[in-house]
Amino acid sequence: MKLNIEGLLVYFPYDYIYPEQYSYMLELKRTLDAKGHGVLEMPSGTGKTISLLSLIVAYQRAFPLDVTKLIYCSRTVPEIEKVVEELRKLMEFYAKETGERNNFLALALSSRKNLCIHPEILHANIVVYSYHYLLDPKIADLVSKELAKKSVVVFDEAHNIDNVCIDSMSVNITRRTLDRCQNNVDTLQNTIQKIKETDAAKLREEYRRLVEGLKEANVARETDIYLSNPVLPDEILKEAVPGTIRTAEHFVGFLRRFLEYLKSRLRVHHVVQESAPQFLKDIFDKVCIDRKPLRFCAERLQSLLRTLEIADIADFSAVTLISNFATLVSTYSQGFTIIIEPFEDRTPTIANPVLHFSCMDPSIAIKPVFQRFQSVIITSGTLSPLDIYPRILDFRPVTMASFTMTLNTFNVCLCLVALSSKFETREDFAVIRNYGNLLLEMSAVVPDGIVAFFTSYVYMENIVASWYEQGILENIQRNKLIFIETQDAAETSMALEKYQEACENGRGAILLSVARGKVSEGIDFVHHFGRAVIMFGVPYVYTQSRILKARLEYLRDQFQIRENDFLTFDAMRHAAQCVGRAIRGKTDYGLMIFADKRYARADKRGKLPRWIQEHINDGSLNLTVDETVQLSKHFLRQMAQPFRQEDQLGLSLLTLEQLESEEMLQKITQIAHQT
Amino acid sequence: MDEEPERAKRWEGGYERTWEVLKEDESGSLKATVEEILYQSKRKRVIESHGQVRLGMMRHLFVVIDCSRSMEDQDLKPNRLTSTLKLMEAFIDGYFDQNPISQVGIITTKNKRAEKLTDLAGNPKKHIAMLKKAVDTVCVGEPSLYNSLKLAIQTLKHMPGHTSREILIILSSLTTCDPANIYEMTKTLKSLNVRVSIIGLSAEVRVCTVLTRETGGSYHVILDESHFKELLMLHVKPPPTSSSSECSLIRMGFPQHTIGSLADQDAKPAFSMSHLDSSSGPSLGGYFCPQCHSNYTELPVECKVCGLTLVSAPHLARSFHHLFPLDAFIESPVEEHQRNGFCQACQGELKDKSIFTCPSCRSVFCVECDLFIHDSLHCCPSCIHSQTAS
Repeated sequence: MKLNIEGLLVYFPYDYIYPEQYSYMLELKRTLDAKGHGVLEMPSGTGKTISLLSLIVAYQRAFPLDVTKLIYCSRTVPEIEKVVEELRKLMEFYAKETGERNNFLALALSSRKNLCIHPEILHANIVVYSYHYLLDPKIADLVSKELAKKSVVVFDEAHNIDNVCIDSMSVNITRRTLDRCQNNVDTLQNTIQKIKETDAAKLREEYRRLVEGLKEANVARETDIYLSNPVLPDEILKEAVPGTIRTAEHFVGFLRRFLEYLKSRLRVHHVVQESAPQFLKDIFDKVCIDRKPLRFCAERLQSLLRTLEIADIADFSAVTLISNFATLVSTYSQGFTIIIEPFEDRTPTIANPVLHFSCMDPSIAIKPVFQRFQSVIITSGTLSPLDIYPRILDFRPVTMASFTMTLNTFNVCLCLVALSSKFETREDFAVIRNYGNLLLEMSAVVPDGIVAFFTSYVYMENIVASWYEQGILENIQRNKLIFIETQDAAETSMALEKYQEACENGRGAILLSVARGKVSEGIDFVHHFGRAVIMFGVPYVYTQSRILKARLEYLRDQFQIRENDFLTFDAMRHAAQCVGRAIRGKTDYGLMIFADKRYARADKRGKLPRWIQEHINDGSLNLTVDETVQLSKHFLRQMAQPFRQEDQLGLSLLTLEQLESEEMLQKITQIAHQT
Repeated sequence: MDEEPERAKRWEGGYERTWEVLKEDESGSLKATVEEILYQSKRKRVIESHGQVRLGMMRHLFVVIDCSRSMEDQDLKPNRLTSTLKLMEAFIDGYFDQNPISQVGIITTKNKRAEKLTDLAGNPKKHIAMLKKAVDTVCVGEPSLYNSLKLAIQTLKHMPGHTSREILIILSSLTTCDPANIYEMTKTLKSLNVRVSIIGLSAEVRVCTVLTRETGGSYHVILDESHFKELLMLHVKPPPTSSSSECSLIRMGFPQHTIGSLADQDAKPAFSMSHLDSSSGPSLGGYFCPQCHSNYTELPVECKVCGLTLVSAPHLARSFHHLFPLDAFIESPVEEHQRNGFCQACQGELKDKSIFTCPSCRSVFCVECDLFIHDSLHCCPSCIHSQTAS
């Protein structure tokens, strides 16, 4: 159908449209008009992707000078494939409706096997790839730096974007890293030696270039060709590489010294936490390394690797990591912290020293993106509360909106069960037994698949062991098979496969998994694969971690976000992600069970996405296990009644005529919830 | 509700949210929508049966009754098993009432096994007697869809191609324990033209959805006891045959019923062939097969000696009405009706929201009478009346 969205002709490749899709496009159009950034929350399964694509493509066609390129960032390869599939549909529709062959070029960068390096890709109108291509400075430099300024960047499934940013800027150094780095440095030295004997002119040429400084890079950036790299701040470019590391041998010697210093730092027996300036002072005192050469370390190494014509850069990942660390630590005096731990918390007897150079400010990594591109859209099914994202990512959005799902029947049954798993009481025998009972009862009334989420692997192991002792596990197995997610990826995907098989052939299964684990983030449980999701406890992040403590402190000092607020926000977005796995569309239905009485509190409930909150009524609060069972039975029977598309039509599914009616347009304006 | 037997311990049951029925809600409340759907499906039953389609008049139906642990659940009163068996008795009666020349067999499944309760037969009394006995069955273990289906098709595949082969499963459990891949079984069923329908007692199970969709059957989940009854009764009507089933002429015998008296010299006492195994003695009268003169006390039956199908003319006539169904009555809101506000059939006042008009004689009926006419009478009383009058 062809839609008219505030004067913009949008081709929409389906015959029907959901009202919230229309509303979503409206908000999106306003964001693009204002050339600003936007935060949009819409539940999954309501056709977010196609709404985004049809509107932006239409916009590109209508105003080819204002928007030249769409950069669509998603999280995983299957998600990228889904986007491409939708895009193909849209393009076919365009070809059919307009009758002309379109000259749109879309490009998806998924994995190495599909990689194409043809220069034509630079002119693609649509680029679909993973976050890391844009955020991770190591990759962004290779792939994304030549993207035009007038692009629209979309981050889909962006509820975890702050963590991605932080991860991309953080460095962890272990003894193994240092050993491999040592090997790298040795190889470098040998190669230099060889080249010196055969082709000394090459090294001299490099030296000359370094004297001239990094002017070229500076010119390029000023003339707006490249996306700036957060690792390499602007001021460095204006200076030349300092003399101490200008020749290749000197630089290798410098790296050796730096490496020795790091090794000595790892030989600690107690935990050390220090800021970047402290670290720099210490390194100067101990091995006389100045701040300035450190800052040029990453750039200098790149130059050296280029000069030596080393083909396989991947072999030099360790030394690249170290040099990146050197540059970062000397560049940013704020937003980072260094923590050296002699052993892991779980194994306090085995020495395994780690140096965490941890980024605490996600805005550092994403800043160049916001600065460079005229519109950045952050969207996901779970972004509540919306206002926290602009705060922690440090940007000013022009639109922030949350959309709800319009349904003709309630296909979500939400139960808040009054059980407790507070940290103090969660080892309690009675609590564990209550959890077991809940799962047992649910396994008897819910058909096919149930997914249960725990707060951590350790906790899950404890509970499962205890259930085994109490015989609960045996009783559950009379109803359904049990599969468990483990930290081993291969094992987990095996379990997942078997789980789906059991759901498919009527045996029924339960998948025990962990919030923040692989299952909770990327895997959908459509229809019978997830008829119920049970969330045991509130998935708070492990608060005893020093990195987290440092980050919380930073958030409090820099952004005035209270520790508790952030922790709750983080826990609730993960909880919402977990339970949201089960509902992946309007014909899908499922039970969402929050098994912890803390969810009933206003501060927790308020942080759930609006489309979940809407299903919470007084009748679903503080239930006992019995009440939950009765409620579920009733709900599942209702949902099993035949469901026809005609019933949906006109209410939550619209044809073009219905959409254009005055009354419906009125209703649509209420769907978007501005904040 | 009053007729329900008292439960032993009331507190054993779950919460009955009886007040929820009364909930009135304008904003798309669930209850209202579901009731609307139920009403629609009631009407649909009437409407669907119209249209000139070939129907499977001679039906061979196996009913599989789940007797697994979950049948002890007390959400149907007094428990699922008793309630199911009671409804099954009514179903058997209705089935033979509407399909006198068809046959039924009953299979139970529990503890991962399937057992035949009764074999395919056309005698309702025997089935009902077995059902009555089955009330004391101990419900244990899990059901097995695969084994039940396998047992059913062992018999069904030998049935002649012009009859319809059907399996109706009443499934209470949410799991099935199968020795082999059930999707292979689905293919076999499909190739044999067996139609599998399922009535679920608890929730929608994926494997049932696939099974019924593949074999062309229907899948429903009950809401409560009355809905259960309604769903079960849907299966009383013969389903349309699949186009692939063969056509053939069938030889049938129409035996006369003779009553011999002891005074009659020619009367020869004979054993009823169908009761040879039972202890009843020889009788003088009965139905005598026109081909081989075997004696039968009951019709319809397949002659055990010569294999002829023996029916009575009224039986055939009863099955016949499915082929010439009564046209659906036209539904219209009660306000549009100006004349006297009484139903032509029951003479009751028309107070429901819609009325039904016979398309040929323009008589007006209420919803209850409409259902009765289409379900039981199969002809419009006022049309018949005017025919005889003229």
